Amino acid sequence: MSFSLNKSYKVLLLLVIFIVIIGFWNPNALLDGLQRGSLYSLIALPLALVLGILGVLNLAHGEFLTVGLYFIFMLNNRFNLDPLVAIIPTVIFLLILGAIIYWLTIKRVVKEGHLSQLLLTFGISLILIETINIFWTSMARNTYTSYSYASMEVGGFRFGTYELLYILIAVLVLVGLQLFLKKTRLGQATFAVGQNPKGAKIVGINVNYVYLFVFSVAVAILGIVAGAMLPRTAIFPEVGSPFTLKSFALAAMAGMGNLNGILFAGVTLGIGEAVINSIPNYGGWSDIVFFGVLIIVIISRSYRGAR
Amino acid sequence: MKRNSILIFSLVVILAFAFSLSSYAQDDPIKIGAVNPLGDITGDQSTKAMELAVKEINDNGGLLGRPVELIVVDSEFKPEKGAAAIDKLATVDEVDFFVGGMSSGVHQAQIPSLKKYKKITIWAGAASYLAEEAIGPDADWYFHLHPWDYQQGESYGIGWSDIAEAREEVEIGKVFLAYEEGGFGTASFESYEVLADQADEGEGPYADILSDFEGGSFKSAALGGGEYRALLRRAKEFDPDLFIWAGYAADAIPLLAQSREVGFEPPLYVGAPPGWPADFEANPLSDKVVLYGMWAPALKEVSEVAEHFWDGYIKMHQERPATYFAPLGYTNIMYLAKAIENAGTLEKEALIESLENTEYDSPLGTTLKIAPSNVIKHQGFTRQKILQYQDGQQHVIWPFEVSTAELEYPFSW
Repeated sequence: MSFSLNKSYKVLLLLVIFIVIIGFWNPNALLDGLQRGSLYSLIALPLALVLGILGVLNLAHGEFLTVGLYFIFMLNNRFNLDPLVAIIPTVIFLLILGAIIYWLTIKRVVKEGHLSQLLLTFGISLILIETINIFWTSMARNTYTSYSYASMEVGGFRFGTYELLYILIAVLVLVGLQLFLKKTRLGQATFAVGQNPKGAKIVGINVNYVYLFVFSVAVAILGIVAGAMLPRTAIFPEVGSPFTLKSFALAAMAGMGNLNGILFAGVTLGIGEAVINSIPNYGGWSDIVFFGVLIIVIISRSYRGAR
Repeated sequence: MKRNSILIFSLVVILAFAFSLSSYAQDDPIKIGAVNPLGDITGDQSTKAMELAVKEINDNGGLLGRPVELIVVDSEFKPEKGAAAIDKLATVDEVDFFVGGMSSGVHQAQIPSLKKYKKITIWAGAASYLAEEAIGPDADWYFHLHPWDYQQGESYGIGWSDIAEAREEVEIGKVFLAYEEGGFGTASFESYEVLADQADEGEGPYADILSDFEGGSFKSAALGGGEYRALLRRAKEFDPDLFIWAGYAADAIPLLAQSREVGFEPPLYVGAPPGWPADFEANPLSDKVVLYGMWAPALKEVSEVAEHFWDGYIKMHQERPATYFAPLGYTNIMYLAKAIENAGTLEKEALIESLENTEYDSPLGTTLKIAPSNVIKHQGFTRQKILQYQDGQQHVIWPFEVSTAELEYPFSW
């Protein structure tokens, strides 16, 4: 596990140059990409945390996001609670749900091979999707909040303001996680378990408790994402599913456990996607570019490692 | 004497057995096998509407003195399940008729099975011309109710021409189509391209109104997309009179929200998804959005059959019909029932003839009549309707003879 910001300065510099070039060429694509990329990063952060500490690739990651979206939708629909306010009860709900699911299932496979983990989390994802289908059907649903469609015009450049919130939340969550890992005893214990679980156990750290905590917190963070996303998206049982693969792509591109790298990777891929989308009739290429960039980064990293 | 007694006894036993068989046949229900995707609102409400129709028929004494039984199998929107459902209904349940609908892909997979059993089939969904070609011109047992895709495109052209003629301020010169990059959206784009080419040559339903056509694709939110701003900016530059998007229900709200965000305000904002999000009409963004469909709840104000259907559906299911597949499902059963009554028999040839001649005043606000289409002999409806969301309610704008409100024009935020 590596959480050092200093090691990322070269990446940061490259990212800034990339952003400046795109900003001059197509400011709309830059802003769209920053907003979208921040959302990708925000969703990928908890997945990277679980992958880094527990070593479990959670294929139900996107479905936990879906559960959060439906929970907030329900709070909004039944109690007229604003989605951003509903983040608080949703985080608590997902924290408990994450703990229950960890205790009932994930705990049994943490020390097993990756195949068992993948099969288990895939099974959880299917159960969550079908449960949502039973209660809410496959019909798309949405909420209405007037502030989420607001826009600004500066010097003839018109842009939506709501999704700037994604950038803010992504940075806050990242900084919060970094502070937690470095400044608190539980965070340092988490860091130690991520580095060497056997060593951590020998020095008296309750590894199982750390795993339970990390998994629950990772699921709970998705409640924040869900609250921010709901005003801007329609929800349906598979709404979160595509984000699992993208989150894994960001985690792989950033390097396993590199939380800062998730933000850089998300912004880079988000902008790349927005640039492709802005080229007429080439929007369909955005996924190819997204995963193409990922493959190039992984290959170049392994090439550097081999040298 | 003894011999005669045995003979009489045998005769009595045979007659009693024959009588019991005939009375059993009298009480034996007429079985209708339905295949619908029950997890989706279209299939769910279509099935509920079929149940309403069957209940009404049975409450009125059934058909030909026999009760009607509806056997429903879920296709789950999966081609293999849809095909297996036909086999199950034919061999296990031994149904007399097939009904159902939704998804051209599922229906195409069902067609080989339907051709194997050749039972009378009244199909309410599947709009793709590929399904029509797969059925072919020789299937006299096949009746299709939903307009085919090319008929829909034609009817919108006729509708917009009528509206432009009736309302001087309405212009349909420049059209921009935003379509999802999958099969559904691409097929829409290709059919519009054909219509635009025809219009260039002074032919087809858009001949007098369409001057310029452009399209652009997007990745649907239903498939992990949901970012439309670049495409909407392109559409804004094109400055269309009519903007249409062909995607899924999940795209409706984000597309409108992002249109507003980039300041895109075409005079006509048209959505053409197969279904809309729940309570879409309650969202203020829906106001003045135009949509295509076969039915609107407001039709109950101008049609007695539509009102009867509306009231009956709510009474039976404690929910409102929200998709045109509900009245279409009701029509599916009622049309078959009326044709059986007219024929007075279940004999196949007589019933096919009766179905060809039966007209049914449907809750869709249109009378169902059978006529040949491009390929098949028995096509039902050929026109879609142009509808508009106004103050939280869907209204019929065109055809004018069943319209429930005038077009609110132009679209604005």
